[in-house]
Amino acid sequence: MTKISEMPAVGRGFISNLELPTFDNLAWTTPVPPNQRRISIVSTAAVSRRGDKPFSWLAKDYRTFHKHDRDLVMTHVAVEFDRSAWQQDLNVIIPLDRLDEMVTDGEIGSVADMHFSFMGAADPVTMEKSAREVAGQMKQEGVNTVFLIPI
Amino acid sequence: MCGLAHYFESEGLSTVLVGFIREHIEAIKPARGLFLDFPMGRGMGKPNDPEFQKKVIQSAFELLEAETGPVLEDFPEIIPVRDGRMGYALPPELVLNKDDIGDVDELVAAVQREIDALLPDYEAAVAARGRTTVGASELAIKDFAPFVSEFIRGEIPKSPRKGLPAIPLLKLVVEDLEAYYTETRTHRDGIDDLELMGKWFWEETRAGRLLLSLEAVSIVSENKVMLQIVEMSLMTPRFWSEGPLPGSSASGW
Repeated sequence: MTKISEMPAVGRGFISNLELPTFDNLAWTTPVPPNQRRISIVSTAAVSRRGDKPFSWLAKDYRTFHKHDRDLVMTHVAVEFDRSAWQQDLNVIIPLDRLDEMVTDGEIGSVADMHFSFMGAADPVTMEKSAREVAGQMKQEGVNTVFLIPI
Repeated sequence: MCGLAHYFESEGLSTVLVGFIREHIEAIKPARGLFLDFPMGRGMGKPNDPEFQKKVIQSAFELLEAETGPVLEDFPEIIPVRDGRMGYALPPELVLNKDDIGDVDELVAAVQREIDALLPDYEAAVAARGRTTVGASELAIKDFAPFVSEFIRGEIPKSPRKGLPAIPLLKLVVEDLEAYYTETRTHRDGIDDLELMGKWFWEETRAGRLLLSLEAVSIVSENKVMLQIVEMSLMTPRFWSEGPLPGSSASGW
């Protein structure tokens, strides 16, 4: 396992010094059965539809994209992650095709129309308002399950 | 990511996440987390490998069957990383000084020749994939190197893009330039190797040289934002190095 203590000095220093959020009450929502799951993806890769406003470096807002959107660009501020994978295949960070296949196979109920992206470099505490806004949009669409994927 | 999960869960939505840093998932305690021992940028593991990607998703979704939580499991398969680094890193000794840059016009011309030579394969890659990630900056490909070169000459040019200042735009141009190269080669040569792609682009191409020249100028820039970009390893890939970072005797941060 790749442990923080075994990472090279620059990354280790940064990651070790991150102030992690704490939560007094651990939230828990009982999941619905698999065939009733309507799933929306939340990515922290700072992707957006081509032509959308780029994310600022510590953005606390979000962007939306439709399940059929494939023309996405990335405006994440950090360069420590590999970008060559998503260049080759969007599904490696936003697996919309895989979820569609799982619907066809009856493993899940449905894929939401709308999916959401945040800037992973920003402090999640500053994103609370945006996250609750996104949750409202999801619930209006009948989403009950959120799949969160980092970059 | 883990923090966002708490907010969604508290809104009555069941969440499951995948993550690359186990210690953070342990500490923040989202309802359901699957630890991935993969390089960062590869949440579903392997591009163009639907079977592997589906295994990751199925493992994550199995956590939705747990009756209580928080739940943290490890995905059983590992995609190895080199020496604990989760992405490519420039060798710490590969740092240019401003005096090393030489003739900027010649360097820009050399980059343009590289770009021209790659164009047929880039277009083939876009046609085959049906998409490109190049273009976040909205500059034309032919304008990438000239725009970067203005900064190397010590200018902060006027941003050609309304609503986006020059330095944030520069960041996007740097990433567009690299994406143009790596999208082309991963397709042309059928390569999926982040270390090899990083080494090729940053250590062997003239475009990499152009960006290292940009870094050299930024280190001694009087513009605080330009300096900060280098000090925080936001321009060149030094996050996974042992340091020291350019312009510093320390490992930054």
